[in-house]
Amino acid sequence: MSEETVRAAPGTVSVAELEARGRKRRQREGTLVLGAQILLGLGLIASMYVLNATSGKLFMPRPDDVLAQSIKLWSDGTMLKALGESLTVLVFGFLLSAVTGSLGGAILGGFRPVSRVLDPYVNALNSTPGAAFIPLIIVWFGLYTEAKVVLVWNAAFFPILINTASGIANADRELVEMGRAFGARRTTLFWNVMLPDALPSILSGLRIGAAISTVGTVIAELTMAQSGLGGLLAQAGNRFQMDKYFAVVIVLMALGTAITAGLRFAERRIGAWRVTT
Amino acid sequence: MTEPLIALQHVGKLFGDGLVRALSDVSFDVRPGEFISLVGPSGCGKTTLLRIINGLITPEEGSVTVMGRKPEPGPDLAMVFQSARLLPWRTVSGNIEFALALRGHDKAERRQRALALLGAVGLRDFADAFPHQLSGGMQQRVGLARALAVEPKVLLMDEPFAALDAMTREVLRRELLQMWARRRMAIVFVTHDIDEAVYLSQRIVLLRPRPGRIDEVVDVDLPEQRWEDDPRATPAFAALRNHLWDRIHAMARDGEALEELAGAFPIESIEKPER
Repeated sequence: MSEETVRAAPGTVSVAELEARGRKRRQREGTLVLGAQILLGLGLIASMYVLNATSGKLFMPRPDDVLAQSIKLWSDGTMLKALGESLTVLVFGFLLSAVTGSLGGAILGGFRPVSRVLDPYVNALNSTPGAAFIPLIIVWFGLYTEAKVVLVWNAAFFPILINTASGIANADRELVEMGRAFGARRTTLFWNVMLPDALPSILSGLRIGAAISTVGTVIAELTMAQSGLGGLLAQAGNRFQMDKYFAVVIVLMALGTAITAGLRFAERRIGAWRVTT
Repeated sequence: MTEPLIALQHVGKLFGDGLVRALSDVSFDVRPGEFISLVGPSGCGKTTLLRIINGLITPEEGSVTVMGRKPEPGPDLAMVFQSARLLPWRTVSGNIEFALALRGHDKAERRQRALALLGAVGLRDFADAFPHQLSGGMQQRVGLARALAVEPKVLLMDEPFAALDAMTREVLRRELLQMWARRRMAIVFVTHDIDEAVYLSQRIVLLRPRPGRIDEVVDVDLPEQRWEDDPRATPAFAALRNHLWDRIHAMARDGEALEELAGAFPIESIEKPER
């Protein structure tokens, strides 16, 4: 009798088999998704060829010409130099906005009187399109790297500021009360309860800020002294060299994706306590 | 007679610029080592009283002293809340160390004490787990360990078991009684569960709602070590709980009468404080 109970009852499935089934199903799904993505990519490339054939290379470059231009630009150092220039503006602008935005946000979120006074100003500045400040930035800071960094800072500052401020201002009241009940002073509460509670919100502010920084960098390079990837873009566009233009766009695409993916990874690492394992 | 640990005299509390009266003329003492429960229907200001004793809010009327001083949040008083209120980004042990750090213990000592306390509540193996990995009952145990860690003179408990399932609640009640028998700090326990109040406490302060005021203070003369000899089947227990329920039903009748009045007259005319 006891031997019978060890064996699985007829009709039931062993754990190992269920696992194997699950793995198979996930694999099949993965292959399907990847296949669809590759198909879509090939479709895009094919439609580029079609557009090129029907409307000419001014309308759409041939993908193999884009590839050839990419290889040329990368091998003669043009692309690398442009990328370096762009990254300088982007990184400095973003770091500046990250530091000032999160500090300012912490002050706005942590001190209610300050936020009550500054709220209309923050809202007004935040609602003004970033491009409106370009002439002023040019007059104040010129046309070169400093001015571009300022433009990027100006674009990325507000999302970081506002996310940090709201994250801290909306820190879990129950936890704050718990800290107070155990005798925590304001500074302890801020560093040990409010700030950690706001971290997810601060990090998404930084991610949005980083994405906007890439946009700001290209706009700065297009509208001020042409340089970097944005400058390369303008050069190619003005001369209707669409293959070169596309080669630059691809690099910008990859850059933006890499930055967002990197920050999302950081977000997940830091917010690990929220994930149920 | 021993000096009271906590003394409330004619305490009154108003909210919303004096428009809402939460408490009116509440006076009672808590003796050292006493287990006292505040019981009453919702809206009777139980939690407000607890927060006043903790020093989180100050009453507009009357006086409160804890060990002869004006109460202020700190190591002499520790609170256990209805939800565990653990910092989700800290480990179980880290949460207890947080409270210990506020008391000024140094780092190495904190970890050791945290582990010892987790042992006391049966969660030593979970020291490095995060709160979300624990069940509700386990989280509440951590909340209790955190409060015990600071070795308070008074343990304030705000419906600590209300959000748990019946079985976990029962287990934790017994553990609380055993823990209190060993350590003998004063406990002020807020609940709306009559049976729980009678089972746990030595004295029950029954409150009436709107505004919160004392209805009756009832001594619970049941033998100690109630986790061993469960008194809940005894006639004495039944008599106490029936008495408390009678009072509460009486309140409900008064409440109905009040509500009828409120329908007939503008609110201001009936809510004027009687002087």
